[in-house]
Amino acid sequence: MPFRLWMALVCFAITVLLNATVKAQNEPPKPAEIVVNGSGGAQEAGSKKAFFEEFEKRTGIKVVATSPPNFAKLAAMVKAGSVEWTIAELDIEEAIRAEQMGLLEPIDDKIVDRSRFPGEARTRKYVFSRAVYSTVMGYRTDAWPAGRGPKDWKDFWDTAKFPGPRAMQNRPVDNLEFALLADGVAPDKLYPLDVERAYRSLDKIKKHVAVWWKTGAQSAQLLIDKEVVLGTAWNGRYFAAISKGAPIHVEWNQGSLKESAFVIPKGAKDAYWGQRLFAVMTEAKLQAVYANFATYPGLNLDSIQFTDPKIAPQLPTHPANLPRQFWQDARWWADNGAAMEERWAKWVIAK
Amino acid sequence: MSARRQGWGPLAAGALPLAFLGVLFLYPVARLLLLSVEDGSLRAFERAAADALYLGVLLETLKLSLIVAAICLVLAYPAAYFLATASRGWAALGFACLLLPFWSSILVRTYAWTIVLGRNGVVNRLLLETGLIAEPLALLNNEAGVVVGMVHVLLPYMVFPIYAVMLRIDRDLAAAASGLGASPWRVFTRIYFPLTLPGAFAGSVLVFVIALGFFVTPAILGGGRVVTIGLLIEDQVRRFLDWPFAAALAALLLAAAFLIQGTFQRVLRGETRWH
Repeated sequence: MPFRLWMALVCFAITVLLNATVKAQNEPPKPAEIVVNGSGGAQEAGSKKAFFEEFEKRTGIKVVATSPPNFAKLAAMVKAGSVEWTIAELDIEEAIRAEQMGLLEPIDDKIVDRSRFPGEARTRKYVFSRAVYSTVMGYRTDAWPAGRGPKDWKDFWDTAKFPGPRAMQNRPVDNLEFALLADGVAPDKLYPLDVERAYRSLDKIKKHVAVWWKTGAQSAQLLIDKEVVLGTAWNGRYFAAISKGAPIHVEWNQGSLKESAFVIPKGAKDAYWGQRLFAVMTEAKLQAVYANFATYPGLNLDSIQFTDPKIAPQLPTHPANLPRQFWQDARWWADNGAAMEERWAKWVIAK
Repeated sequence: MSARRQGWGPLAAGALPLAFLGVLFLYPVARLLLLSVEDGSLRAFERAAADALYLGVLLETLKLSLIVAAICLVLAYPAAYFLATASRGWAALGFACLLLPFWSSILVRTYAWTIVLGRNGVVNRLLLETGLIAEPLALLNNEAGVVVGMVHVLLPYMVFPIYAVMLRIDRDLAAAASGLGASPWRVFTRIYFPLTLPGAFAGSVLVFVIALGFFVTPAILGGGRVVTIGLLIEDQVRRFLDWPFAAALAALLLAAAFLIQGTFQRVLRGETRWH
């Protein structure tokens, strides 16, 4: 081997070694495990398969998944200075609120490469947009053949044309929008929400809602058990039920699109390793693995090309589905969410 | 010397449990109650009192607990009578029926009811197939489902006090009454039933007070439409993180429980004195 080539190789080796040691010196010590608090279910299983196992392989740090997301608990932990979670999932509007309240660690763009994320998802300082999901309606196909059931929220509210018990989430988010759409508000004229009008509309559907669900698992199970014939759920929950053979049809029309948010609570132990997990979660191929499993597409625009073409029509971002839904205004909910939650809690228990 | 030993003995025996309750129960409860007046004001209580909604939920909870206690009493009385009078073999079977569910997890039992009571559940399918009903009955996700689930969980708490009292009843009393010419019905209403009343009262208070704080069963079987004070407290803690308000609601619940317990106890004492 010529001398020059030798020298080049040696230099290269030294650089690699130096880089590795410098990196190792800058890295905080590795914990045995980090905790990710998310919404469980297929999302957790998908995250394990797509991201957590990969992260464990690369770093040797075990990822422990807990659930469900809980904004109040996160706020309490940060205030008490005892944060159990390295990473926590929140609704996007809750995440923005948490940011405003100073409860979050900033996302380190030197570690987390979001350059291929669109719009605000790329630039949010404290919030990592992990995927897009949609709250959609679904119905049992033995109540109405697929495609012949309710097509929009007006139909959902029309108990004469589409009789049967319904299920909705026990929260104001999405439901206020659905109520306004049912009352004839155009999807592009939703915000700022006319709250009074929304509640007047909700009053009309209230007695037909057999169950106000609290967990994602419950939302699909209610349809599987025939407890209700028509309901709302996050799209991935219906997908998981349908892939196990449940006779459910998903109506994408007027679905409520939003990003799911992951954050690092302020004062979280091993925050650095949380950032490193985020870095893994930005990778296009891994996001596609996740989307194929949970039907929640990631924000990396390149991930689309790795997505299974058979799964693609089940994604909220598929060209056939995307334009039929509306984007929820996270800012409006960040500003009004707390008051809305309180009003909802009272409304739902009032006779 | 011996009197002194007797004096210290019970205290020594009770020291550990007392310390346990003091540290792990009384202290946290006191802390929780203090939370409700944390900022030195009664704002949390004012808020609870100002909104008819919260008092309404408290009343609903009282009503629900009363219904549950009443149904438990009606079911438990004959069951306890059976256990107290049946032959050894039958009594063993009876105890097994009562205790096996008692030993299984409350969550398992409550979820099992969703299979029985659902629109597509065992009961509704049976009634639909036999043509007794045309539309499934609403047995779940409403008050009826919650009552069924709570009665199931709380029934043993009613049976045992009544059973214990029934065991202690001197059978010669009944024999003497019938020997003096009383009909079996008269023996029951004048002798047996009054003697079992302390057990029935004790069981009713126990069931009623436990039912007041019930949380899991209404959460699972109520479908978000049956709201008890326990659920409301959970909501305040978990969703709104309003600990002072949650503590105020808990204090109201505790006060209601004390009030009822105290009233019943007074009635009960009067009852025993009357004998």
